[in-house]
Amino acid sequence: MTDFSSLPHLPDSLTDTAARSVQKTQTAKPGGLFSRPWFLRLLAIAIIIIVWQLVALTNIRVPNIAEVIRFLIIEISEGTHGGTFKGLFWSPIGNSFMRYAIGMAIGVPIGFALGILIGTSTYARGLLNDTTLVLLALPSVVWAFLSTLWFGLTSEGPILAVVLTAAPFVAVSVSAGVRNIDRSLIEMCASYRVPLLRRTQHLILGGTLPSAITGTRLAFMAGWNSLIIVEWFGATSGVGWRARTLYNFQDYPGFTTWILLFILLIMILDRFLLRPVERRAFRWNEPPMLTFAETDDDSNASTNNSGKRLRKRQD
Amino acid sequence: MSDLSIVTPDSVAQLSDREIRRSIRRRWVTRTSILLGWGAFIGIWYILSDIVFRDPRLPSLHLVLQRAGRIIATPGFGSDLGNSVLRLLGGFLLALVISSVLGLLIAYSDWWRNLLQGFLQLIVSIPTIGYAVLALVLFGISPIGPVLTTMLVSIPYITLNVAQGIAGVDRRLIVMSEAFGRTRKQIARDVLLPSSLLSLLSGARLAFAVAWRMELLSEIFASSQGVGFQIRSSFERYDTQAMLAWTVIFVALMLIFEHLVLRQIDRWASHWRSAEPSATR
Amino acid sequence: MATVLIENLTKVFPPTANQPNQVQALGGLNLSITGNVLVAVLGPSGCGKTTLLNIVAGVEQPTSGSVRSVQDGVPAHISYVFQEPRLLPWRTVVNNMIFVQDRKSDRSRREAEFYLSMVGLGDVADLYPSQLSGGMQQRVNIARAFLVNPDILLMDEPFSHLDALTGRSLRDYLQKIWSQTRKTALLVTHDVNEAVELADRIIMMRPGGVIFDDIPVNLPRPRHPSNPDLQFLQNDILRRFDSMEAAVRFGVG
Repeated sequence: MTDFSSLPHLPDSLTDTAARSVQKTQTAKPGGLFSRPWFLRLLAIAIIIIVWQLVALTNIRVPNIAEVIRFLIIEISEGTHGGTFKGLFWSPIGNSFMRYAIGMAIGVPIGFALGILIGTSTYARGLLNDTTLVLLALPSVVWAFLSTLWFGLTSEGPILAVVLTAAPFVAVSVSAGVRNIDRSLIEMCASYRVPLLRRTQHLILGGTLPSAITGTRLAFMAGWNSLIIVEWFGATSGVGWRARTLYNFQDYPGFTTWILLFILLIMILDRFLLRPVERRAFRWNEPPMLTFAETDDDSNASTNNSGKRLRKRQD
Repeated sequence: MSDLSIVTPDSVAQLSDREIRRSIRRRWVTRTSILLGWGAFIGIWYILSDIVFRDPRLPSLHLVLQRAGRIIATPGFGSDLGNSVLRLLGGFLLALVISSVLGLLIAYSDWWRNLLQGFLQLIVSIPTIGYAVLALVLFGISPIGPVLTTMLVSIPYITLNVAQGIAGVDRRLIVMSEAFGRTRKQIARDVLLPSSLLSLLSGARLAFAVAWRMELLSEIFASSQGVGFQIRSSFERYDTQAMLAWTVIFVALMLIFEHLVLRQIDRWASHWRSAEPSATR
Repeated sequence: MATVLIENLTKVFPPTANQPNQVQALGGLNLSITGNVLVAVLGPSGCGKTTLLNIVAGVEQPTSGSVRSVQDGVPAHISYVFQEPRLLPWRTVVNNMIFVQDRKSDRSRREAEFYLSMVGLGDVADLYPSQLSGGMQQRVNIARAFLVNPDILLMDEPFSHLDALTGRSLRDYLQKIWSQTRKTALLVTHDVNEAVELADRIIMMRPGGVIFDDIPVNLPRPRHPSNPDLQFLQNDILRRFDSMEAAVRFGVG
């Protein structure tokens, strides 16, 4: 399912034959508590939290977990942090997500259309490919600065930045997907005289979908990134603005809380929306180059592999 | 002698005549459309900057390039660029060293693989601005932030490639080496190393594209010198011209490094792979 | 003089996830090979030939029984011609040869080139494997096995990945180089043609890892595939396989 699970194990000697590796996986499978994947995941989280607390002890700017939770509770309940300094939670998040949704809703279709054009026509490829690559090469912070300069402290700035960041990502992966469609399948369609509409639907869209989805996933990450940057430098609402304000007040617990919030928000979106969609799109295919997804069934997979190897050995 | 291929001069001539004409036409179409594409890009820029908006917030292309030239000529340019490049390389080299170790651990041990997988997943799923501002909290305005963030975002890509390189080595070559009585040291040096070095390089290229963007963003947030700082201060002065000029300089430099230098190294390291099958005998 | 002595050899693979029953690859094999002969083990796919070779090479452990390979009373030095070329792609052809040599000296390159020229590859020593055709790579594989001057040479279907014409010309090379060195050799193959052309003795195996026939081939070398004696022998062997199959099918064998 992922890159890591597909890593084969190295033979430690010439005698590491099929039979032996079967034994190995069989003995490794029950394993101790310390080698269970869920335990290691918990261990990783624990390590991160412990390191954080240790840093908090030594660095006055870094709040500890209790301070962050206290701040978060006040923000969510929209109570007061003391004086007139009021908690805010849903309005920054709502504002940001609104801009993000509009930006992606414009950027992804544009990117998709561009990608299909670049992938199918030689003219369009020559015309648009270089330009798209240059746009992709620009760091999102440049888009963020430009849209701030152009639109000032409005909502159009962040939306434009999201569109300009997201569209090239989608365009590049879609065009790559179109060009990777098996030529022999195209010829097959031609020889069976498959109608154009059905050909487009099943061959072009079907063949492009996995890479389009990977591109869209990257675009979602990059779009969020540049939204936060624009909001940080040029907005009067939104998640980025809230973090910036708290930073300017030197309110480190608040600042840290919002940093963690915007990291968590995109991670939740990625895990529960984008990644399941991607996994579905890739079920008949090789997994994408870089997903760091779950691997609960990797012990099964390696048993199967060695089973295959064993069979092969006999003939 | 052993490999027969029946190619008569006639069939070559017939095939290539048509093929050559078609490929020449295609090449011309591609070339003109690429030129047209750049022409359109520059044209649209000029229409927007000089006819539609006429606003210093969207300067003409030649003004940006002139400004870039002036910036390069200023005496402080070297130190700004040098600062950024040094931090970038520092973080990147640290990442190379750490990733090689992590890649080895992942390739050889299930336990480490399961443990590190979570961390690597986390690192790639945090947006770059998250690192930039975290570095700001942790280190304030300091060069440590850019170096560490650059290192951190590069690690997953390189680690993954190193692990794949080591584990993806053709096992049959190892069995062959052992069948001919090669020692473990010889196998490590002559089989494992060459095979993993190549994937390390491709991982490095992938990581570099992420690394320089991260470095720039870190400098924008937490630095008082370097290219990122210059871009930020131009932005704060509403000096779009200077901002675009710095961007053009740095992006051009990084793209040149990424696409010419790193690719060249890659090609040099895989010279044995690109070789065409020889037509003799 | 090299000897391979195989006694009561069995190999059983334990059941796996997608193979619920255990599989018997070798069923009590007895075999003795002595002297400068080339012995072919002939049988259909899945009859345990490769397992036998792997056990002789020490790559796999038998379930029971023993294999001894000796040269003048000491364990024999074995080398292997693999089914696929197995060349290090980042080393040139001659450096691939030098890689398997124990002592590196200024003579190593000359020795490597000598064996390369024996398989007609004297002038490609400095090319990379990717620059050679499949047949040429396989010739390097053969030359490499002879280079280390083994007491016993094991060959695992070395021509099965090649097209028929290339395979035929490679068999000529193998005959030539073997006739000059006359190593004790064990060749595993499913190709009757190949067996009669190369071997001094043909051992026939059936699925389950059982030897059902063992015939000598006393034909002068070099042998040419169009030789009528070879054709005759080939037909004879095919008949033996047919009658074995009939016997198995009707429960006689």
